Amino acid sequence: MEINSRPVVVKRMPERVNGRTAREFLRDVQPFLSADRPQLVFDLSQVAQLDAAGVEMLLRCMSEAHKRDGDLKLAAPSPQACVVLELTRTERLFEIYETSTDAARSFSGFLPNAMRQQLLHRRPHAPAA
Amino acid sequence: MRLKADALVALHKDAAALNALRECIRVRVMDIRGMILIDSASAAIESGFALMPCFIPGLIEVAGKSALQRTAERFNHFGVSQVTAVIEGQSSDSWLKPLSGVSQTLASPDRFWRASETAFNDLVQAGAELVILVRLGAYAEIDFESMVQSHLDGHCRVSQAARSGQPMDIFCISASRRNDAASLFRSHLTRCRSDCPLFESAGYFNPLAEPLDLRQFAIDILTLQTQTAPAGIQVRPGVWTAPRAQIEKGARVLAPAFVGSFARVRSGAVVTRCSSIEHHAQVDCGTVVENSTVLPYCSLGAALELAHSVAGFSRVWNLRRGCVVEINDKKLLRHVSETSGNKLLVSAAELVAYLPRQFWRGIFGQPASPQPDLNAALRQTSPTLGSASGYRAPACDSEAANEFPSNLVVARTHGNQ
Repeated sequence: MEINSRPVVVKRMPERVNGRTAREFLRDVQPFLSADRPQLVFDLSQVAQLDAAGVEMLLRCMSEAHKRDGDLKLAAPSPQACVVLELTRTERLFEIYETSTDAARSFSGFLPNAMRQQLLHRRPHAPAA
Repeated sequence: MRLKADALVALHKDAAALNALRECIRVRVMDIRGMILIDSASAAIESGFALMPCFIPGLIEVAGKSALQRTAERFNHFGVSQVTAVIEGQSSDSWLKPLSGVSQTLASPDRFWRASETAFNDLVQAGAELVILVRLGAYAEIDFESMVQSHLDGHCRVSQAARSGQPMDIFCISASRRNDAASLFRSHLTRCRSDCPLFESAGYFNPLAEPLDLRQFAIDILTLQTQTAPAGIQVRPGVWTAPRAQIEKGARVLAPAFVGSFARVRSGAVVTRCSSIEHHAQVDCGTVVENSTVLPYCSLGAALELAHSVAGFSRVWNLRRGCVVEINDKKLLRHVSETSGNKLLVSAAELVAYLPRQFWRGIFGQPASPQPDLNAALRQTSPTLGSASGYRAPACDSEAANEFPSNLVVARTHGNQ
């Protein structure tokens, strides 16, 4: 059986996310959001400043992804981003992972066991230590 | 009878001896004066405070009063009524508030120590015999009476308070020892030319060196760990409000908490867990303030959650994460103008900007998209299935769709669940 696993798109967010940069970022990710069942990870490790427009953009992206039966996850948020997400009470709406790899890997976590096993078998083996 | 006369003579002699003794032990009132130094050098050590312009911990109000005010009150408590404060700053600084019983002198940074020495000499000229010198930063509750007694008993020229063997910037200086005082001021309180015995104090101490200390200070005051109390009156057990604080109907202030003068807690807001809303600060509707300090003139936006933080001057110090975040978004955090004229101008400008924007939106804005009707949506065949297939959903022709309540929604926590 061939498993057609959908790609996980990882995007790094800019250092300053204000109204203007949020619009630009949304324009960049719009093609991915428009796809069927989009799987997106936003890397927030570089974010030093995040304002209400940035948070609104994140919520909009999540809403768009959910509309198409996909999901948006956040990865490696900087302390500054964490503070703003906590301040705006939005940190509980997102799945947040420590690294982008963890976030991307989490998408396969919802696959049925049989499919997950096949995916694991297809992965190249790690070199022996 | 003779025996009685002898007794009277003896009694008379005793009274004379008693008077002589009284003359010997008559307590002379000593002229002791207080001096408080506040410079930015102690404030700029820690990175958290260094990021804040014009921020000196000794002047920032915590639970309604600054460390300067609390130290001055403590001097008064111990009978030291004349207090001089030398504060580093410019004459144009508007944040300096007059304090009763405290004469304040502003000195520029380059002349701060010179001005301090001059202020000390002025106190001596005015008749002071002993000067207690306190440098803020750190707030310490010293038993000044015991310290002075220890200083006098030890015939010291200069003595210094210490906590657990660590010297603090609190000195007792004999006014006649001007050279010792001069060397102390010229070395920025780091060196004394004569022997400087330590006076060990076990009272409350807070270094006020970083935002965490500021928060801890608020907690200690509100939980009555200190001898100093929050400003204002206790309206409920553990809840203090200063005069003209506004707590709107529907707002909840849970003990222990403090709301400062002219501060405003709007409807639906919650202030809890040793939170302190300082004067002229605002907490907008629905915002939760938990274990946090909102500094003076800071306005928190609506429906936020500020926890374990110190907010003010367009910044949030998150104490759990140990980081400072600069927030320039007025929806989240803004600095309220300190003068009423500025406030009026800002309000007028906001109104002037708001009305044309609303007109523009009303005339040229896009019409709102019609709300999709659930029943109509249920009767439609999914476009992905295609009309050519002839598929019709079971609910399409029946009235079953009407059986569903119109407010039925499906909430998903995660996309793939």
